[in-house]
Amino acid sequence: MITDFPAAPLPLPDPAELDAELAALGGGAMIPKASRRTLFPVITKEDVFNLMLAQRQAPEKVVADFAEAYRSYVGAAYALPTASGTSSLHMALVGAGVQPGDEVIVPAFTFIATAQAVVAAHAIPVFVDIDPATYCMDPKAAAAAITDRTRALMPVHVHGLPADVPALRALADRHGIALVEDASHAHSAKVGDQVAGSLGDAAGQSLMADKNFPLGGEGGIAFFAAEESYDRARAYLEQHGIDYGMSWVAGAFGASQLKRLPYYDEIRARNAALLGEALRETGLFTPPHVPAGHVHAYNMYRTTLHPEAVGLGDIPVFAVKEAVHELLVAEGVPAREWQNTPIPCHLPFQHRDGFGNGYPFTLNPGAVRDYRPEDFPVTLGMLDSTLVLCRELRSPVEYERILRYADAFRKVARRPDAIRKLVESRDYQRPYDKAARLG
Amino acid sequence: MELFDTATVLARVLTTGVVMSIEKSDRELPGLERLLTKQTGRARAVLVNSRTAALHAALAGQGIGHGDTVALPEPDAATGRFLNWLGVSVEGRGPAAFDYVSLDSANADQLAELTRGSSAPALVVDLTGLGFGPAAAVLTDDDGVWARAERLKIFGAYDLRTMWTQEEADGSLVPGVQFNYRLSPLVAACVRMALTQAARPATPTGARS
Repeated sequence: MITDFPAAPLPLPDPAELDAELAALGGGAMIPKASRRTLFPVITKEDVFNLMLAQRQAPEKVVADFAEAYRSYVGAAYALPTASGTSSLHMALVGAGVQPGDEVIVPAFTFIATAQAVVAAHAIPVFVDIDPATYCMDPKAAAAAITDRTRALMPVHVHGLPADVPALRALADRHGIALVEDASHAHSAKVGDQVAGSLGDAAGQSLMADKNFPLGGEGGIAFFAAEESYDRARAYLEQHGIDYGMSWVAGAFGASQLKRLPYYDEIRARNAALLGEALRETGLFTPPHVPAGHVHAYNMYRTTLHPEAVGLGDIPVFAVKEAVHELLVAEGVPAREWQNTPIPCHLPFQHRDGFGNGYPFTLNPGAVRDYRPEDFPVTLGMLDSTLVLCRELRSPVEYERILRYADAFRKVARRPDAIRKLVESRDYQRPYDKAARLG
Repeated sequence: MELFDTATVLARVLTTGVVMSIEKSDRELPGLERLLTKQTGRARAVLVNSRTAALHAALAGQGIGHGDTVALPEPDAATGRFLNWLGVSVEGRGPAAFDYVSLDSANADQLAELTRGSSAPALVVDLTGLGFGPAAAVLTDDDGVWARAERLKIFGAYDLRTMWTQEEADGSLVPGVQFNYRLSPLVAACVRMALTQAARPATPTGARS
């Protein structure tokens, strides 16, 4: 397939480029403009062939075979394929026993689908802050938010790093509530030997084509630890006449891609390690924190800035981040803000219209909060001080490209003078003072 | 649709490398939208991933939500259950909130005829029967219906294509609950081919005679 190849090969980095002028100041870019596009997902001749074969099978069998193959890979007891990640999260919540008006605790830092899936289940999302090291749900914050009406904790394995499942599991058990994973970023991520999606009472996972494990467009899957939960979710669909069915076209593509997922996981892990090593040398940047025993899937790669390490401690960190962002983008590294505002401060959770006329928020007024950004100081601190690589680290990011990304970070970190000058010439705003970004 | 034709469409789209619905370079979803608006005479199309997603979008597009009542002539049992889940009550009197057409291989060539008399603010076309998985569309002439339905189906309140910002120029478009009801370009391409092939030509070409 022609789509397997980038338009032009990248040359291996030359050490002299590190000392050259920054691209933003007139120098050459580490990644030339013609070579910046990355291709994802990879589509091979086997994928095409497998889709050809699938059209001769019963659609139900194609989808069921895919779901069974992926369930087995994840190690969950039951799987329900769906049309999207959101619908999978909805089904996970329903399977876990969430009822209308119940409270579900979710992190303030995630994609909006996590919280909207709670509303889809006619329940109320209760937002809590994140852990400053992992950027996943803080178990202590979750503990403080539990009430008599809390039915589930819904941690997100954000960017592909599993949340603190042991602590959250203990908390859930102590209160007799469910643990429902949002594993949408965390394909193949692990705690110990257990794969994300098999860690909770139920889990939902997006399989859209921008994820580490992509289906043919849009898709999702819900996992359940108990047959009772699986049956409850299926009965709910029947009872309410909801069609969340997965297309056989998407399922066939996924079944084909699944065979290459472990290979892609290894390349992604190699690239993340290589980039992490380079970032640590810079002082200005640190790679994502990965607790012992956790396997990070690196659907996204969030680097944290430490301005004080390069003599910029007197400048607000968000301004340093903005300047670094500009400099990296000029070098051809597509660093970005992925989210810039706590999710509870996005419009749907400020207006709380829900399904209309305030439902389901009207079911449980005691759980409703007028959230402000300041309610989530750790999230705000993270938004101020971090930048993200998204698609750019997914396989098959070639070796030359990841080396050049690493050199671009090195090149920028060597120039605190340029960062300071840029800050002085700009009027940067804190991330959450701008319109909220979804992705 | 012949198996060979389906295979050709799938291979063509896969070769482009664009299989995700929010890719700026996707041409399949806009292509199906154009075909449906042309055949139904409606100005706007909202493509979604199931019949119930279309029902939801048709109502949400009109600002009809939980606690509201709509007129619908004799909804089937599944539709009734779904509307009940939405919190929308049904009564038989008055102009229908939406018209409904279900296409399959037997009537795929009759979309224009089947929808010619449609006068409701939204027209729901179920495309699932064409054989590529759950798929549907909402057709409308009302930009407001279209805009609200788009915001229901995707997590972007302002710009469907980029999903960047939650800032809204028009306060009435601020979304409530949002689902991912997006349709896959691969499915859209197959549906479009099926509809194109099924449509009777205006004049016989004579090529096969």
